[in-house]
Amino acid sequence: MRILLVEDDALLGDAIQAGLKQSGYAVDWMKDGIAAEQALSTEPYAAVVLDLGLPRLSGLELLKHLRSRNTHKGAPSNNHTPVLILTARDTVNDRIKGLDAGADDYLVKPFDMGELTARLRALIRRASGSASPELQAVAGVTLDPAAHRVLYHEQPVELSAKEFAVLHVLMLNAGKVMSRAQLEEQLYAWGEEIESNAVEVHIHHLRRKLYPELIETIRGVGYLLPRGKGA
Amino acid sequence: MRRRASLKQRLLELVLAAITLIWLGTAAFTYLDAREEFEELLDAHLAQAAALLVVQTSHELEEIETEHTASTHKYSPRIAFQVWEGGKTLLIHSANAPSQHLATREEGFSDSVIDNQGWRVYSLWDNSGEYLIQVAERADVREQLARTIAHNLLQPVLISLPLLAILLWVAVARGLHPLVKLTREVEQREPDNLAPLDAGAAPREVVPLIERLNRLFIRIAASMQRERRFTADAAHELRTPVAAIKAQAQVAQAASSKEERMHALDSAILGCDRATHLIEQLLTLSRLDTLEDGVTKPCPLRDIASEVIASLAPVALEKGVRLELHADDEASLRGNPELLRVLLRNLLDNSIKHTASGTTVRVGIAIEAGKVLLSVSDNGPGLPEQELKKVSERFYRPLGTQSSGSGLGLSIVKRIAEVHNAALQIGTAGEGLGFKVTVIFMQ
Repeated sequence: MRILLVEDDALLGDAIQAGLKQSGYAVDWMKDGIAAEQALSTEPYAAVVLDLGLPRLSGLELLKHLRSRNTHKGAPSNNHTPVLILTARDTVNDRIKGLDAGADDYLVKPFDMGELTARLRALIRRASGSASPELQAVAGVTLDPAAHRVLYHEQPVELSAKEFAVLHVLMLNAGKVMSRAQLEEQLYAWGEEIESNAVEVHIHHLRRKLYPELIETIRGVGYLLPRGKGA
Repeated sequence: MRRRASLKQRLLELVLAAITLIWLGTAAFTYLDAREEFEELLDAHLAQAAALLVVQTSHELEEIETEHTASTHKYSPRIAFQVWEGGKTLLIHSANAPSQHLATREEGFSDSVIDNQGWRVYSLWDNSGEYLIQVAERADVREQLARTIAHNLLQPVLISLPLLAILLWVAVARGLHPLVKLTREVEQREPDNLAPLDAGAAPREVVPLIERLNRLFIRIAASMQRERRFTADAAHELRTPVAAIKAQAQVAQAASSKEERMHALDSAILGCDRATHLIEQLLTLSRLDTLEDGVTKPCPLRDIASEVIASLAPVALEKGVRLELHADDEASLRGNPELLRVLLRNLLDNSIKHTASGTTVRVGIAIEAGKVLLSVSDNGPGLPEQELKKVSERFYRPLGTQSSGSGLGLSIVKRIAEVHNAALQIGTAGEGLGFKVTVIFMQ
């Protein structure tokens, strides 16, 4: 899961980035509105954490641009990416302005890192069309994003952070083919080194730890986690 | 507590006092004037009576049979007369006349006292010089008559004064009604209602008061607005460092490696430092906001500057920023040295924070056109035009500012300059290079 963090405060940004990484997210951290806008037009994000008081381009402006933008063919569309606003202002009016501008949720500073990640999980889950907190997928494989836990036939399965993230992305996009590049984009933040074959290795481990038929390889295209297959 | 004077009562008192004074004056004058005329009239009367008696005495003395003539008029007893033959023998006299001489034998008016009774006497010799006629009037009767006149003069005044007071009371109350109305309007206001008062129907004398009040309302409203915005801003500004501290602490809790934990904890401590700095700056500013302008002590600017530069030199050195002082020794002014120190420290702090390593920050103290100029300039990249306007706004931090800035430094500088009746000039050091703040003391 790749998150865009837009925060101009060095200490707070650093903390949120570290906290989100601890929860297994890949985080791109932009310190002003213009940089964030550029990132949004080039990379796909599972969610955006946006501070409203930004230099150069305010958070609200950025949000409006994002929601009204026409994406070019081929460029990632973040038009519907869930956005969580961080704000120091907590009057009803401020909240209404944020939500009206296209935000999906907001948190007032200071906030709890646990609540931030929980709200992000909820936003990402809702964006994928599921309302249930536990993503039940195929043949007894259950993924619990909050607890960072995967159960196979009621037995917990030990997965690395990246393996968990790959499985999470595939389950969220069950029934859709995800290219290797798409998976990589969701797994690695900018500047993070992507090991070659990393995705293949994670898929391999997942098949081994769970069961081989869970993820199908569409040669030359990508990977697919079939929806509603088996039981 | 001293009882407040009532405007109504005061007006009434003054008007009544004035009226009473003038009436009393008029009455006194009238009385004195009337009395003089009255005395003359009575004297003339006496003289006439004497003349009549002379005529009677010379022609019909024999016919006057009674030794004592009877009183025939209510005022008659006041007139007494004596007829002296040869001036020595009392020939006849009125019943109320004493038997001794009413006055000397000289002709004319005189006053005399006989048996503790004052008399006004007119003496007249008849043409033959045989009889002395003395006609007299009792002084106390004359006095009483005069008093009656005075009484009659003053009585209507004394009766009408209370009536006048009542009418005046009503009139004054009516006249002061606009003031009462204004008072009630101001009284009934909600404490936060600072809308201007309507001067529409107010009389001319009250309009300036209403205008002043309205101007005051506008000023108070603006200051309240500033205060409210500042409190809100300050609270919000504190939220970010607190959010950072909390988030860093939670990251430290969940850290899987020692390195990660230490980084988060260090950052949390840094966040505390930053919050502390922000709180200190806020306190300085709030203290300045309530400070009365009391600029008194002589301030040796050069000494103050060297002191501040010395205290900041380690920080500057660490960042690779050079500090320089170019001071005119003559430059000195009266002010608050502690505040001037805070001012300079904030300016230097800003310069050190916002410039890159290798920059030189120059503190200049000079006298130009009789004014003392204190400037802090650097040879860094400076600020674009539109940012220059915003820098002295509270909580404004230019792009790329390090997290330790509170955004309050220039607000503090601005306020201290105001206290010292100094102007603040924010601009470039020249040729589009560097940032320069000049404080121009107007003394």
